Amino acid sequence: MAGAPAATAPARPAGATSPVRPAGSVRRRQRLRRALTGWAFSAPFTVLFVVFMALPVMASLVMSFTDLRSTDLRNPLAVNVVGIDNYIRLFSDDLFLRSSVNTLVFVVVGVPLTMVLALAAATALNSGLVRFRALFRVGFYLPVVTSIVAIAVVWRFLLDPEIGLVNNLLRLVGIDGPSWLFDSRLALPSLIVMAAWRNFGFLMVIFLAGLQAVPADLYEAATLDGATRWQQFRNVTLPMLRPTLLFGGVVTGIGYLQLFEEPFVMTQGGPLSSTLSVSFHIYNQFGFGNYGYAAAASYVLFLAIVALSVVQFRLLGERN
Amino acid sequence: MVAKDTALRTRDRVAKTVLYVVLVLGLLAVAGPFVWMALSSVKPEREIREVPPTWWPETFTLDNFRELFSRLDFPLYFFNSALVATLVTAGNLLFCSLVGYALAKLRYPGKRVLFLAVLGMLMVPGMVTFVPQFVLVSNMGLTNTYTGLILPFLVGPFGVFLMRQFLQSIPDDLIEAARVDGAGEFRIFWRVVLPLCRPALATLGILTFLGSWNNFLWPLVVATTEDKYTLPVALALYSVGQNRTDYGLLLSGAVVVVLPVLIVFLALQRHFLRGIATTGIK
Amino acid sequence: MRSRRLAAAAGVVLAASVALAGCGRDSGGGQEEAKSVGAGKASGDITVWAMGSEGEKLAEFAKEFSTANPDAKVSVTAVPWDAAHQKIASAIAAKQTPDVSMIGTTWQGEFAKTGALDPTPSDLIKKDEFFPGAWDTTIVDSTSYGVPWYVETRLIYYRKDLAAKAGFPDGPKTWDDLKAMAKGMKEKAGAKWGLNLQPGKTGSWQSVLPFAWSNGADVASADKLSFDTPEMTEALAYYQSFFTEGLSPTALPDGSLEPGFVKGEIGAFISGPWHMGIVEEQGGAGFKDKYAVAQMPTKKSSTSFIGGSNLAVFKDAKNRDGGWKFVQWLSKPEVQVKWYQAVKDLPAVQSAWTDPALTGDTFLAAFGQQLKSAKAPPSIPTWEQIAAAFDLEVEKLCKQNADASATAKAIQEKASAIGTGS
Repeated sequence: MAGAPAATAPARPAGATSPVRPAGSVRRRQRLRRALTGWAFSAPFTVLFVVFMALPVMASLVMSFTDLRSTDLRNPLAVNVVGIDNYIRLFSDDLFLRSSVNTLVFVVVGVPLTMVLALAAATALNSGLVRFRALFRVGFYLPVVTSIVAIAVVWRFLLDPEIGLVNNLLRLVGIDGPSWLFDSRLALPSLIVMAAWRNFGFLMVIFLAGLQAVPADLYEAATLDGATRWQQFRNVTLPMLRPTLLFGGVVTGIGYLQLFEEPFVMTQGGPLSSTLSVSFHIYNQFGFGNYGYAAAASYVLFLAIVALSVVQFRLLGERN
Repeated sequence: MVAKDTALRTRDRVAKTVLYVVLVLGLLAVAGPFVWMALSSVKPEREIREVPPTWWPETFTLDNFRELFSRLDFPLYFFNSALVATLVTAGNLLFCSLVGYALAKLRYPGKRVLFLAVLGMLMVPGMVTFVPQFVLVSNMGLTNTYTGLILPFLVGPFGVFLMRQFLQSIPDDLIEAARVDGAGEFRIFWRVVLPLCRPALATLGILTFLGSWNNFLWPLVVATTEDKYTLPVALALYSVGQNRTDYGLLLSGAVVVVLPVLIVFLALQRHFLRGIATTGIK
Repeated sequence: MRSRRLAAAAGVVLAASVALAGCGRDSGGGQEEAKSVGAGKASGDITVWAMGSEGEKLAEFAKEFSTANPDAKVSVTAVPWDAAHQKIASAIAAKQTPDVSMIGTTWQGEFAKTGALDPTPSDLIKKDEFFPGAWDTTIVDSTSYGVPWYVETRLIYYRKDLAAKAGFPDGPKTWDDLKAMAKGMKEKAGAKWGLNLQPGKTGSWQSVLPFAWSNGADVASADKLSFDTPEMTEALAYYQSFFTEGLSPTALPDGSLEPGFVKGEIGAFISGPWHMGIVEEQGGAGFKDKYAVAQMPTKKSSTSFIGGSNLAVFKDAKNRDGGWKFVQWLSKPEVQVKWYQAVKDLPAVQSAWTDPALTGDTFLAAFGQQLKSAKAPPSIPTWEQIAAAFDLEVEKLCKQNADASATAKAIQEKASAIGTGS
C-alpha cells in the first residue's frame, strides 16, 4: 500500500489531488508491492506458525484417523487407517458422553455466572463510590497467580462437611450442610462456583475497562430524563458494553470448554464421574496411550469450541 | 428539594457501606488461598498437613526455604526461566504486532486465510499437538537446547488476535498521513503506530510472560539434562514423590515462583487496564 | 480463486491418502532374544534418568561405580514424577532416549511393547535373585525387559492400643479377624472408622486386588482377563461389607488420613512403607510405639500387591553395554543395602534382606515377609486403562452398593472391550 494517487512515480508527495487512475502496469506494480509488504510483515510469524503449529495440527489430525497407540510411537507409520472409526466410537463411549454433559453444564452455568460476578464487581468499582480501586484490582487477580495446590487445600477445607466454613455458616442458620465434594450431584456445582471465583477477576478488568469507555454524557442525559440507576444500567451501560461482553464471553467460553485443572486437582473427575470434563477424559486417554482416539476426541472438542464461539457472535455480535 | 437531597445522600452512604462490605468480603475470599500459601510456606510439614488447616503459623520456620535453596540450584533454574520467558515475551511482542499490523492495516492476498488459520489455532485444544510438536523439534535437533525451549513459543495466535483487534482502532488517517509524507511501511509501523500501542503491548507482555514462566510440560520433556530445567520443573522434582508430596517444599517453591510474576504484573497492571479496554470495544 | 483453493485442498488430501496408504501394522512380535553383554569393566558415558529423590541421590551414589570402573562416567538426570511417563513416551517417540531409565512397574508393559526396551541379558542378571512378584513385572511376551530396582508392598497399618481394646493385641490374622477388629475398634475403642479403605477412585485396585489374590482369584495374565470369577466376587463382597457396615468412610477428605490415624479416629488403613515416615512425623515423638503393621489377612493365602520401580535399558542406547553393567552393579546385594540406607527404598534383591540394616527393624521385617509372595498385575500395555475401569466399578460398589457379582461382570466386560493390547 505504498502508493500515492499520482500516476507516474509511486511515493511522490500528493500534489495532484485529481483522481487520475494509474496505468495498468503501475497498478500491478502497486499490487505486487502491497503483497510483498504485507507478507514481509507476516513472514516471521507465518514461518514459525506453519512449522510449529500448523504442521503438528495436521499430523495430529491425521493421527485421529488411525488407531495409533503409544506402543506404536517408534513406528508411527505402521498403523492402521481406521477412517472415522474413532469419531464414531466416541459417541458410544459412556465416559465421553458423560464428560460432554458435565462440560456443557459447566459452560452453560459457569460462563453467565462468571460474567455476572465480574460485571457486578466492575460496576461497583466503577461507580465512583469506592476508593482503593487499585487494591481491589490487584486483589481480585490473585487467584490467577496462586498455586493450584494452595487453592485446592483451602477450598477443600472450605467445603469440608464437618469443619468447613460453608457448612459452619449453614449450621448457624440451622441447615445441615451436605458433603459438597463427595456428593455426585453437588460436586459439579461446587466446582462451578470455584471456577467462577478463580476467573472472575480477569473478566472484571475487561469489563471495568469497557465501562470506563462509556461516555459520561450519556449518563448525564439519562439522569436528566429521570432514569433510575437500574434503568441507566439496562438502557445505557449494557448496550454500550456489548462488544466487551462478547469478547469476555467468547474468551471465558473457550476456557471453560477446556476445563481441566479444577476437576483434576479437586475431585479427580469423581465422585462417580460427575465432574469428569472432556479435557480430563482426553488427558486420561492420552495417558493410556490411545493417541488416535484421544486426538479424535480433541477435534470433536475443537468443533464444539468453534460452534460456541459462532453462537456467541450471533447472540452478542454487532447489530448494525 | 433539600429533603430529597439528604435522602439521596443517605441512600448513597448506605449503598457505599454495603458495597465496601461486599467488596472487602470478596477480597478476603479471593486473597485467602494466596495468603494461606504464603503463611504455610513458613510452617513445618507436620503443621501444613494438620486438619483443620491452621492460618497463622503455630511454629514459625524458615526450614522449607532453607532446604529449597540448598537442594535446588536456584540461580541456574531462575536464570533459565527468566531467559526463556523474556525471550518468548519479546518475540511475541515484536512478531505478533508485526503481523497484527499487517492484518489490520495492510491489504495483501491470503490475509483472510492467515487470519482464519490464526483464529482456528486459538481454538485447538492444547494437548493434541504436544507429541507431534516434540517429535518435530527433536528431528530438528533442538532437544535439550535453549532454542528448543524458546522457538516454538516465539509467536502465538492469541498475541496476533489481540494486536490485530487493538491495531484496528488506530485511525487510518494517521497512517495515511505518514505514507503521504513518504515514510516506508516499516518506519510507519515502528515510529508512528507502535508507540500508540503501549496498553496492548503491556497486556500481551504480562500474559505471555505469565504463561511462559509457569510452563511445565514442554521444558520437562525437551530438557534431557537438569541444567536446562526451568524453575517449575525443578520445583516439581524436589517436592512431588511417587507416593508422597513434600508440601513444605511445594509451597515455599510456589511462593518463590510467584514473586517475579507478581512483580512484573504490579509494574504493568495500570497499562493492562487500558489495554484490554480498547481491544474489547472494536 | 475458489477453484484454486479447492485444487489446493484436494492436493493435500491426495498427499495425505498416499502417505496413509503406505501405513498398516504387521501382526508380528512375540519373543525376543536377549543379546549378551561382553565381560569386563564398563566404559564410556552412561546416561541415566531417574525420578524423584532417587534421581536426586543417584548421581552422588553412582560415583562408587565410577571408582570401580574408571573408564565409565555416569550422568544422571533427575526427572519429576509428575509427567515422567509423558517424558519417557515422548523420548521414545522422538528416539531421544537415554541409556538407562527408571520406570514405574505399571509402565513396563506399555514401554516394552513400543519395542524401545532392550531384553534383559540373562548372563548378566539372574532372575532368581529377585522377589518373584517383582521379576514378573518385567516380563512382557515371555521376555524380561527390565530389572527390578526397589520394591514396595502394602500392609495393614493399625493402632496397637485400639486393637488391644478391640480384642486383637497382635493384630488381625484372617479376613474374619480384620472385620472383627474394625468393628471392635469402633464399638469398644471409640474410633470413628475401624479401617480406612479406598472407595474406588484412582489406585483403589491396589487395595482391592490383594483381597482377590488372597482368595485365590487369578485376575489377569498376559493373554487372559478373568475378573468374573466366584473368588473375585467374594473378595468384592468382603470389601464392600466394610462400607455397608459403617466401618469404612466413603467420603474421607483428602489429607485427613494421617491426622485421623494419629488422633485415634481411624483405627487402621492399608498402605506401603512410605507411610511409616509420614505417620511418625505427624504423630511426633513416641508415636512409633502406638502403631504396628500386619500382613494382609489370610483367606486362602496372604497375598499383597507389589510395586516399586524397575530399571530398563533402551534399544537406542548409545552405550548399551555400559548401561547394563550399571544396572548389574545396582542389583548387587551390598549395593542394594547401601541404596536402602541412602534413600530408604526397599531392596528388590532377596539376599539383601539378610543385612542387619533391614533385619533389625520389626516393621521392615514384616514388609520383607509380605514381599516374598506379593503379586503384581500382568505387564500388559492396556493395564492402566483396565485399572481405571476397575476403579470406576469399585467406586459404584462402595458408594452405591452395587451388587458384587454384577460389579465383577461389569469389570470383565469393560476389560474385555479394552483388551490386553497384544
